[in-house]
Amino acid sequence: MSEVRIVSEQLDVLKICASVSDSMNGAICTFIGQTRNNARSREVAYLEYNAYVPMAEKQLKIISDEAEKRWGCSVVIHHRLGRVDPGEASVIVAVGSPHRGDGFEACRFCIDTLKKDVPIWKKETCPDGSFWIEGDEAINAD
Amino acid sequence: MKSESENAASEEPAHELQSIDFPSPDSIEHSRLMGAHMPTAGGLKLSLISGKKIGCTAIQLFTGSPRQWSHPPLKESDIRAFHEARAETGIEFTVAHDSYLINLAAPAADVLERSRDAFRGELDRAEVLAIPWVVTHMGAHLDQGEDEAIQRLIDSLKLILEETDTLGYSSGVALETTAGQGTGLGWRFEQIGRVLDGVGPHPRLGVCLDTCHIFVAGYDIRDEASYAATWAEFDKHIGIDKLKVIHANDAKKTLGSRVDRHEHIGEGEIGRDAFARLVTDPKLLHIPIILETPDSETMHEVNLQRLKRLASGGAMGVQISVQCFGHYTDVYGSDAREIRIQSGWTLTDLVKKLESEYASMSDLAARCRFAVNEEYSKLDTILQEGDVVAVIPPMSGG
Repeated sequence: MSEVRIVSEQLDVLKICASVSDSMNGAICTFIGQTRNNARSREVAYLEYNAYVPMAEKQLKIISDEAEKRWGCSVVIHHRLGRVDPGEASVIVAVGSPHRGDGFEACRFCIDTLKKDVPIWKKETCPDGSFWIEGDEAINAD
Repeated sequence: MKSESENAASEEPAHELQSIDFPSPDSIEHSRLMGAHMPTAGGLKLSLISGKKIGCTAIQLFTGSPRQWSHPPLKESDIRAFHEARAETGIEFTVAHDSYLINLAAPAADVLERSRDAFRGELDRAEVLAIPWVVTHMGAHLDQGEDEAIQRLIDSLKLILEETDTLGYSSGVALETTAGQGTGLGWRFEQIGRVLDGVGPHPRLGVCLDTCHIFVAGYDIRDEASYAATWAEFDKHIGIDKLKVIHANDAKKTLGSRVDRHEHIGEGEIGRDAFARLVTDPKLLHIPIILETPDSETMHEVNLQRLKRLASGGAMGVQISVQCFGHYTDVYGSDAREIRIQSGWTLTDLVKKLESEYASMSDLAARCRFAVNEEYSKLDTILQEGDVVAVIPPMSGG
């Protein structure tokens, strides 16, 4: 059974990995999205994540269930909300599977689909202002 | 309809307000002439004054006791007070309802004569009070032959209209559609049509439609198709141009039951949607609407508010909430907003509305996805009451 969460506190990678480390599995693949201190040649002080939380949870669940069905694995996805400083994890996808091939594929599917379909947005705060990031666009925030 | 004395003597417990969706009172339509049947105990002018207090722009009244045959002539002072109250309150439309005893189709010669006399009195009082219409039920045949009864009614109307023509009267007669209880006439549009044809065209002869009566008489108005079909029948047999006033009453009894029991707007067998359609129907916007619903003292104001809200909400208006995300929250705010839209609107219609209302949101359709109730939805999705719509710009999670 997949598990998805949208949380305000720091993500604990070991704990999340432990939740998919069934001894039936030969592989645990993880993707950790980490906040960069730069974007588009600018310094980034910190990010702020906003979400349409109830729908984002539903979408995450749809994605993780789909991955589990397609690759016969177990999936856990946790995403941060609110302020995230450079170097901190903003998202963790952990996939436990009998073999590494399915694990890598499922992990990549989850993060790629998440970026496309899960209603979460980041706002970059730079020394010279803040920007909404919407897809490839950076829009000056008030 | 219920008489004033019945209303006053009612021992029913106070009406408990029901939770039915009526649009927000923010933008109430004031141009429509609307009101209620108001009591005259303590003086005719009080019907206007109490009507004004609860927001009426039109009222109906009894100019005499509805359970008596004869009335002393109105006092000059009462007539003057009525005219003054009309000027003070600004109530534009008044209509009188005649006595229940009157049967202008009565088979018995003596009853017929008394009815004609009493109705002459009704018109006399309406004339001095400058009340343009006297609403009357079409009488009953009392199992003495429907055709003969209709002919007697035609004769009565011809006679009285001719007499009052000679007197130069302006007040006219509005035949009310009835519920079809007992041997009452006027519950089929055809019967009213026959009477109108029999009397011949006359500027002081019109019709009053009562929503409860036509419904229990078998004319459905609950959905769009039945509403349209009923008005088509009305137009065919009577003519929309003959309609002078509408009685807006919900019905306690079912379609075709032929039992006349009025109910609060939206709480009966007819239901809210029919009244929403009625008060926004473009062909009827010039027709005054009068409530004759129960518990008049406490509930006329509530029922009137309901009609006004339905009138301001548009036909079959739909209440939805809309929330925006990403940079759109800078203009729109991050909270969901309640928006009232027309029934049948799709996501496309809503998006156009948002694009036109907010300059910085003119690109929604080009770059956003839309969710209805937390699921991505196509632009041709028809929005329903209570839907939660989200405007979702390109995302950047991860």
